[in-house]
Amino acid sequence: MKRQKPWLSVLFWTLISFVTLFPIYWLFVISVKPTVDLFSTPEVILKSFYWQNYVDVLTDSTLRRYMMNSLIISTGNAFLVTTLGFLACYALSRFDLPGKESIFFWTITNRMAPPAVFLLPLFLLLTQVYRIGDFSLADTRIGMILVYCTFNLPFAIWTLRPTIDGIPKELDEAAFIDGASPWKIITEVIFPLARPGLAVTLILTWVFAWNEYLLAATLTNFNARTLTTGLSEYVTTTGTAWGVMAAISVITLIPALIVFSMVQRHIVAGLTFGAVKG
Amino acid sequence: MANVTIDNVVKRYGAAEIMHGVNVDIDDGEFVVLVGPSGCGKSTLLRMIAGLEEISSGQIRIGGRVVNDVPPKERDIAMVFQSYALYPHKTVAENMGFPLKMAKRPQAEIDSKVGKAAQILDLSHLLKRYPKQLSGGQRQRVAMGRAIVRDPQVFLFDEPLSNLDAKLRVTMRVEIKELHQRLKTTIIYVTHDQIEAMTMADKIVVMRDGRVEQIGAPLDLYDRPQNVFVAGFIGSPAMNFIHGRIQSQGAALQFVAESGLVLPVPPGSAEEGRAVIYGIRPEDIEIGPGGIPVRVAVIEPMGAETQVFAKVGNDMIDAIVRQRIAARPGDELPFRIDVSKVHLFDRATEKRI
Repeated sequence: MKRQKPWLSVLFWTLISFVTLFPIYWLFVISVKPTVDLFSTPEVILKSFYWQNYVDVLTDSTLRRYMMNSLIISTGNAFLVTTLGFLACYALSRFDLPGKESIFFWTITNRMAPPAVFLLPLFLLLTQVYRIGDFSLADTRIGMILVYCTFNLPFAIWTLRPTIDGIPKELDEAAFIDGASPWKIITEVIFPLARPGLAVTLILTWVFAWNEYLLAATLTNFNARTLTTGLSEYVTTTGTAWGVMAAISVITLIPALIVFSMVQRHIVAGLTFGAVKG
Repeated sequence: MANVTIDNVVKRYGAAEIMHGVNVDIDDGEFVVLVGPSGCGKSTLLRMIAGLEEISSGQIRIGGRVVNDVPPKERDIAMVFQSYALYPHKTVAENMGFPLKMAKRPQAEIDSKVGKAAQILDLSHLLKRYPKQLSGGQRQRVAMGRAIVRDPQVFLFDEPLSNLDAKLRVTMRVEIKELHQRLKTTIIYVTHDQIEAMTMADKIVVMRDGRVEQIGAPLDLYDRPQNVFVAGFIGSPAMNFIHGRIQSQGAALQFVAESGLVLPVPPGSAEEGRAVIYGIRPEDIEIGPGGIPVRVAVIEPMGAETQVFAKVGNDMIDAIVRQRIAARPGDELPFRIDVSKVHLFDRATEKRI
């Protein structure tokens, strides 16, 4: 069907893009202005760049540590939950487990409660239960990776299930007859075909962990503190360092944008996987 | 190559028994077709031979070895699936070489065997393509190629032509038959299409509701069906069945249908008064002088043949003749029945008399 008014579509998407991107642009504007300029009349067009906010952020060893923590925790968590979710979905999809639909539903139920409900139990688990001598999981990167599993694993199982179900069982059977072991079936047949879905899950779980604030703020003190919690340290009794906070926010955005742009193709393929018979 | 013995095989899902003691002997190098309507258990039986379904009781032997508990890869079989089950992310060459790769064969041997199979199946120019870049017939040939490279003792085909259009199905039928003549490997082939069964098989196993109804050569089944089900299933168009009784007319016997229609029967074929089902194939009816007058309901000219449907009482009789018919619906035509081709079945047991 021929489009009647292409300019209408262009205008619509231009408007939507402007509404979506303007806050990010505004964040960048704030990050490249000295504090004193932030309280003068707002200027949409940038006339000069004040890079000191970025220099402050990048030369601050504490912030660099927070950044490293965020990267390690998000990446570790994303890979762990995607791997576990993939294997769980394979089992749920292919094996006749008694009550598997109930198991599937049960996994998602903990996403139905607000995360704040879990704060106290998780705090006690990390500080008191998972403790050997002086070592506890509290304020550790591994502890935060495991905490995020609580929320990301059900999500991974939920998003990966249609992907695995969409791969015909006959492929498993053909590979089985061709002499492949169950592990080989997973690595040689299922994994390559599930890649778009796995990429989507990896990215979305990574973004969740990267952006998460509440759990990180409560369950970490210093060692495993993440970039999002680091932001709050610039709100002090003597004032708020808006410029530095904006610079941190822009820096926080960059990895997410890079990762998204790299796998955008997979995300589109993953979200439509199985929708149309190939 | 190997013989396959299916010995009193039973399949149960929980309390439900869906296969009730099936026995089939398949000789070395034989092309056996399992045929029957949907849900008759033919695919389940094939999957049990492949090792994809457990056997509840009974035995399956391949080459004399009981394989009940042997995993598929050790049964020395290869299977071609209805959906071809090609790995979409692998090229044609990788698909065909996959079983050898799993068997950890050296790459040179894989390449050589894939090359030979590709030559047999005319796939040499497509080895670097992906399945989505192939036509239905080419995909089917790749699936066969993947089976051939293993040089198995038995080939299993699960409705391999169902997804192809009618014209391609005929071509592939010929190709599979040629392949069998060339490789001489035992083939067990599942289909619901009796024409495929008739044209390809050395031996047909007709199944219904988890039971074997009859086993025999295609023409044996066509000429001497053992019951009404087989008689109706084998042959296209299907055999005409008319319910009635045998009555005497002087010294001779005749069949009198419930509608009152009188038809000839072979002498001594059944005792007087017996309730029977009278079976006559459409192609064993001619139109000519001396025939039984019937009123034409529908005429279907197909070029080489003409199919005539005639209504007699409550019965519809279908004849297929080589001549062109000028009659119109409502006209009377004389149906001449070849008495030697009449099949009589007992009304109660539906078994051949």
